[in-house]
Amino acid sequence: MTDYEAVIGLETHIQLNTKTKIFCSCKADSWGDEPNTNICPVCSGLPGVLPVLNMEAAHKGALLAAAMHAKVQPLSYFDRKNYFYPDLPKGYQITQYDQPIGVGGYFDLPMPEGYTRHIRIHKLHLEEDAGKTKIINDERYVDFNRCGVPLVEMVTEPDFRSGEEAAQYLVRLRQLLRWIGVSEADMEKGHLRCDANVSIRLKGSEVLNTKTEIKNVNSIDAVRNAITNEIDRQIKQVEAGQKIESWTLDWDADTGTLEKMRSKETEADYRYFREPDLLPLVLKPEWIEQVKSSLPELPLARRQRFVDQFALSLYDAEILTTDKALSDYFEVTLMHYQGEAKVISNWMINDLMRMLNDLGLSANELKLTPERLAAIIKLIDAGQINTSTGKSLLKKVQETDQEPGEIVRKEGLGLVGNEEALRAIVESIIAQNTTEVASFREGKEGLIGWFLGQVMRQTGGKADPKLARQILLELLKQG
Amino acid sequence: MPVEHISPQLFEKLVDLAAIALDPSESEYLRSELNNQLTAIKELMAIELDESLIPALHGVPFESADRQAMREDALLPYATPEDIISQAPQSEDNYIVVPDIPHSELD
Amino acid sequence: MLELSAFETIEKIRSRELTAKEVLEAHLAQIKKVDGVPGKLDFGELSETEATKVHAFITLTEDLAYQQAEEVDRQLDNGIDPGILAGVPITVKDIFCVKDTLTTAGSRILSNFKAPYTATSVNRLQKAGGVILGKVNLDEFTYGSSSESSAFQPCPRNPWDTSRVTGGSSGGSTASVAAYESMLSLGTDTGGSIRQPAAFCGVVGLKPTYGRVSRYGLIAFGSSLDCPGPVARSVKDAALMLQAMAGADPRDSTASNRPVPDYLSALQKDIRGMRIGLSPDYFRNSMPDLETGEIIYEPIQKEIKQAVYDAAQVLASLGAEIIEDVPMPNTIHGVSVYFVISRVEAASNLHRFDGVKYGYRTAEKVRDLHELYRHTRVEGLGHQPKLRILMGMYVSAAQYSAQYYQRALKVRRMIRDDFEAIFDKKGSYHLDALLTPTTPSTAFELGAVYGNTVMMQCADQFTVPANHAGIPGISIPAGFDQTGLPIGIQLLGPDYREDLIMRIGHAYEQATQTAEWRQTKPRVVRELEE
Repeated sequence: MTDYEAVIGLETHIQLNTKTKIFCSCKADSWGDEPNTNICPVCSGLPGVLPVLNMEAAHKGALLAAAMHAKVQPLSYFDRKNYFYPDLPKGYQITQYDQPIGVGGYFDLPMPEGYTRHIRIHKLHLEEDAGKTKIINDERYVDFNRCGVPLVEMVTEPDFRSGEEAAQYLVRLRQLLRWIGVSEADMEKGHLRCDANVSIRLKGSEVLNTKTEIKNVNSIDAVRNAITNEIDRQIKQVEAGQKIESWTLDWDADTGTLEKMRSKETEADYRYFREPDLLPLVLKPEWIEQVKSSLPELPLARRQRFVDQFALSLYDAEILTTDKALSDYFEVTLMHYQGEAKVISNWMINDLMRMLNDLGLSANELKLTPERLAAIIKLIDAGQINTSTGKSLLKKVQETDQEPGEIVRKEGLGLVGNEEALRAIVESIIAQNTTEVASFREGKEGLIGWFLGQVMRQTGGKADPKLARQILLELLKQG
Repeated sequence: MPVEHISPQLFEKLVDLAAIALDPSESEYLRSELNNQLTAIKELMAIELDESLIPALHGVPFESADRQAMREDALLPYATPEDIISQAPQSEDNYIVVPDIPHSELD
Repeated sequence: MLELSAFETIEKIRSRELTAKEVLEAHLAQIKKVDGVPGKLDFGELSETEATKVHAFITLTEDLAYQQAEEVDRQLDNGIDPGILAGVPITVKDIFCVKDTLTTAGSRILSNFKAPYTATSVNRLQKAGGVILGKVNLDEFTYGSSSESSAFQPCPRNPWDTSRVTGGSSGGSTASVAAYESMLSLGTDTGGSIRQPAAFCGVVGLKPTYGRVSRYGLIAFGSSLDCPGPVARSVKDAALMLQAMAGADPRDSTASNRPVPDYLSALQKDIRGMRIGLSPDYFRNSMPDLETGEIIYEPIQKEIKQAVYDAAQVLASLGAEIIEDVPMPNTIHGVSVYFVISRVEAASNLHRFDGVKYGYRTAEKVRDLHELYRHTRVEGLGHQPKLRILMGMYVSAAQYSAQYYQRALKVRRMIRDDFEAIFDKKGSYHLDALLTPTTPSTAFELGAVYGNTVMMQCADQFTVPANHAGIPGISIPAGFDQTGLPIGIQLLGPDYREDLIMRIGHAYEQATQTAEWRQTKPRVVRELEE
C-alpha cells in the first residue's frame, strides 16, 4: 500500500470589524438589515463614483500582517479585477494583486496530538467584499448591503497535511482575529470564509501535483470533513490509475459530499491593472513600527507564559487564554490575590466560566471584577467565610454590584468562628443525638461528616468547618 | 492587405469576454477598425525602452502636498438608498432582480 | 447683453444693473433662435433648416435655471453674496451627474438615467451662483474628437459653419459658448476633448492639471487622464470658472490637496521675461499608414503654423522670450499610448453598464443573465464604446498586457519626462510654457472623418501628450483660416501652473483685443443679425 501525503493550502477571507466600508462611509456590518438599505452611490457602482480608502482598514490589515509575522509593505498597490457577476456592481473588484500590504509570515500551529505544524504565509492583501444574491424561481435577487465591506485575504503556502490541521488553523486564526480586535470572526455570519487547495503526493516527494479547489467551506467541521473527504477521493482516483483534474468543488455540509462546480470564471481573464482612482498605499516606517509595537501578547505566547511563569497545566492555560478578556482577567485577579495561580485558575475554570456562559458576557463586562474575585478568595483563605459561601458570593456580587465584604457584613454571612458559640452548638448537638454519638464512640468515626453537617445546618452553613471539626472531635472523643 | 492582428476567432473570444452580442456586419466593421488601430500603434512596439523606466500610472507624481489624509472610519450613511434602487429596471421587496446565471453541467 | 464677458455680467448683476433672471432669459431666447431641436435617440432625417442650427443641447433644464437665477437675485436683494459666478449661465457636458436630471453620457444605455446625486464640480459651480442651463451633447461616453458619435442626434454643429464638426468630445460645450447660448460651459478633457473643440469653435478651453478639479460625479472614460475644465470666450472668464471649481475633494482620492491660488490676480501680471518655447515636434502632422504601420509626416495646415508664429511674435513684443527648437521627441507616441491606456481604463469603466442596476435594459426576452448582459450592451452601446471595450480587453489580456499595456505605461513616462525636462528650473530650457498649435487642421466636415477611427484619434495628437503627462493646457483663439474657420493655439505649462498659461493667454488676448479677426462672429449668430 503506497503511502501518500496530503498537501493543503488555505485561502481565508476575513471581514474586518471597521465601522465603515473600505471605500465609502456606509456601515461595515449590516447583518440582518433589510436588503439594499446600507448602500450609497459608491458601493452600488453608480456612474461617476470614486473609491476613498478607509484608514482603519489599512490599520487593521497591517495589524493582522504583523501578528502573522509578515512584512508590512511600506508601499502597496490596489488593482482592478474585472469580471461580470450580479453581486459585483462595478463589474470589477478593487483588490491588491501583485503588491499586497503583507508579504511572507508564518504561524506555528500547535496540534492537540502534541506536535507543531509550521505554516508559512504567502501574502495578505486588502480587498472589497461583493454583495449577496439568492435564487428564487430561476431569478436572482441581489442585495448590495455587503458590497464594499473590507476584507483581508490571507493565503498560506501548501503546508497543511490533513483536514484536522486545517480545522485547527481556523480555530487558532479565529482566536487570533478576536484577540487583536480586527474581526469578530463569526463563521456563521461569514466573517471568516475559507477555500482550500488540496493535492496529494507520494510521501517523501517534494513535487506539487495538480490540486483541486474546495470553495466556501464555512465552518470548522466543514473544513475538516471536506478536506478529509477530498484527500480520500484523490487517493482512490490515483490508486485506480486516474489523473487528478484541477476541478473546483463545492462542499455540501448536509449530505457530506463534494460536488464539482463550474467555477463562475474558470477561463476568465481578469485583466488586472492598477486601480487609477486610488493612489499607492504608502505606510511610513514609523507608523508600521507603531502598529507592530501595539500588538498585545498573542494567545499562544500567553498560553506558554502561563505554563512557564505560573506552572499551570497546558490544559488550564489553554482554557484561560481562550480569549483575551478572560486571560487578562486571570492575570489581574492573580495580581490582586498575590497567591497561587492554580487557585485562581480553578475558581475561573470551575465557576467563573459557567457564569460567563450563563450570562452571555465577556470577562471584561462583569461586575464581578478581578479585584472582587480576589477579595472573595482571600476571605475564604482568612477563614472569614467558608467555600460554599464564597461560591454563592460570585453570583451575589455580579447581581448587586457590591463589594464582597459589604455583602458578607450585610447578610451576616461571616463564618461562625467564635469558639464559645460553636462549643455551645456542638454540645447541644451531642446532647440531642445520643444514638449517633454512641455509634461514633463505638468506632463509626465516619459519622464525623454527619455531625459536621448538623453543625452546618444549625449555623446556616456559616460555621468555620475546621474549628467545628476540631471541637466535635474533642467533645465526641471525651465520652 | 491590412494586418490581421485579431483573427475572427480571437475577436469572438473578446466579444464574449466583453458580454456584447454582436451581429456579423457590426463584427466585421469593428474587427477591421481594431486591426487598423493595432497597425497604427505598431510603432509603440519598436520603441527602445530603457531598463530603468518606471511605468507612469498617472502623469503627475502626487507628492505629499497633493495627497489628502486617509479617510477617517466615521459613519456617514447615505440618506436615500431608495433613490438608488428605484433606478433598477426590475426590483422586488427592495432586491434588484435579474435572470439567473446559466447553470453549469455537473458530472 | 449676450456679448458681455462673464466677468462683466457678474459685475452688472451685483450692481443690480442687470438681474440674473434677465440674463437667463436673454440666453434662453438665444438658444431658441440658434439651437434647433435637442439631441434625441433614434432621430430621423435632418431637415435643411435644422442643418443650419447648432444642436448643442440634449436636455434644457429651464425650470431649474429659473429657480437658480431667481435665487441669485433674491440673495442679492437680501444682501447675501451669491458667489463668484453670480448669475452666469453655464451649460454642462452630459457626462456629469446632476441630481434628478437626465444624465445620458450621450448613450442609449443611460438614456433614461436620472442621477441621484450631483458631481462635485457642478455642485461648486451652483454654490458659486452659477445658473445651470442644461446638459449639452458630446461624443458617446466622450469617445471621439467630433461629437458625431452621440446616440442623441442631431449631433452638435459648428456655429462658424454648420456643415462642419464642432470637434469633440465636448462639442456641445464649445458650440453653446461660441453661439452665445451660454457664457461658460463645463467640459472634460481626456485626450484633448476640451481644447480641440475649443480650437474648432473659436473659444477658450482649459484642461487643468490632472487632479486640480475633482472627478467625483464625472462618468469615467480614462480614469488616469480625465480632467473636468472650463470653456469660455475669454481667458479671464475661464479663470473665474476654474476658481469656483478647483480644489481638494474628500470624495476623490486623486484630487490634489494643494491650495488653489488666486487665478484672477495672477492674470494681472505681465509676461516680461517669461520663457515660452516652440517645438518642431508639434508642427508635423503624423498619421500612421494603415498597411504598414509606418508613420507618415506631413506639415500641419499652414495657416495654423502661421497663427502660432504670429502669436509668438505678439508675445515677444510683450517682453517674453521665445525659445525655438525645443525637443519633445516623445510627442509622436502620444496617440499610440492613448490607444492603449485610455482603452484599458474605458473597458473596465464600462463594465458597470449591464442593464442590472440602472439605465437601459434590453426588452428582448432573455434566457439567462449572460444574455441580459449581451443584449443590453449590444443595443445600448454604440460603435465607439464597443471599440474601446474590445481594444481595452485585448491590450490588457494576460498574454498581451506586457507588450501593450505595460509598455504603454513606460512610454507614458517618457512623454512625461519630455515635459519635466523643458520645465525643470535647473534644466537647459527652463521654460514657463510651451506654445503649440492645438490641432493639425481646422474643423473638418461632418461625416468626413467619422468611421475612420485612427484618423479621428490623430486629431488629438497635439493635445493628448498633456493628458499623459498630467500637465495643464489651454487653447485660445488665434485667428481664422482662409475659409473662415477658427484656429486655436495651445499653451502647455508645468504641474498646477494654470496661472502661468492663463497669464500668457490673457496677455495675448489683451494685445490682440482690437484685431480685426476678433470682430467676427460665428455664422449662426451673424445670420440672426442680418
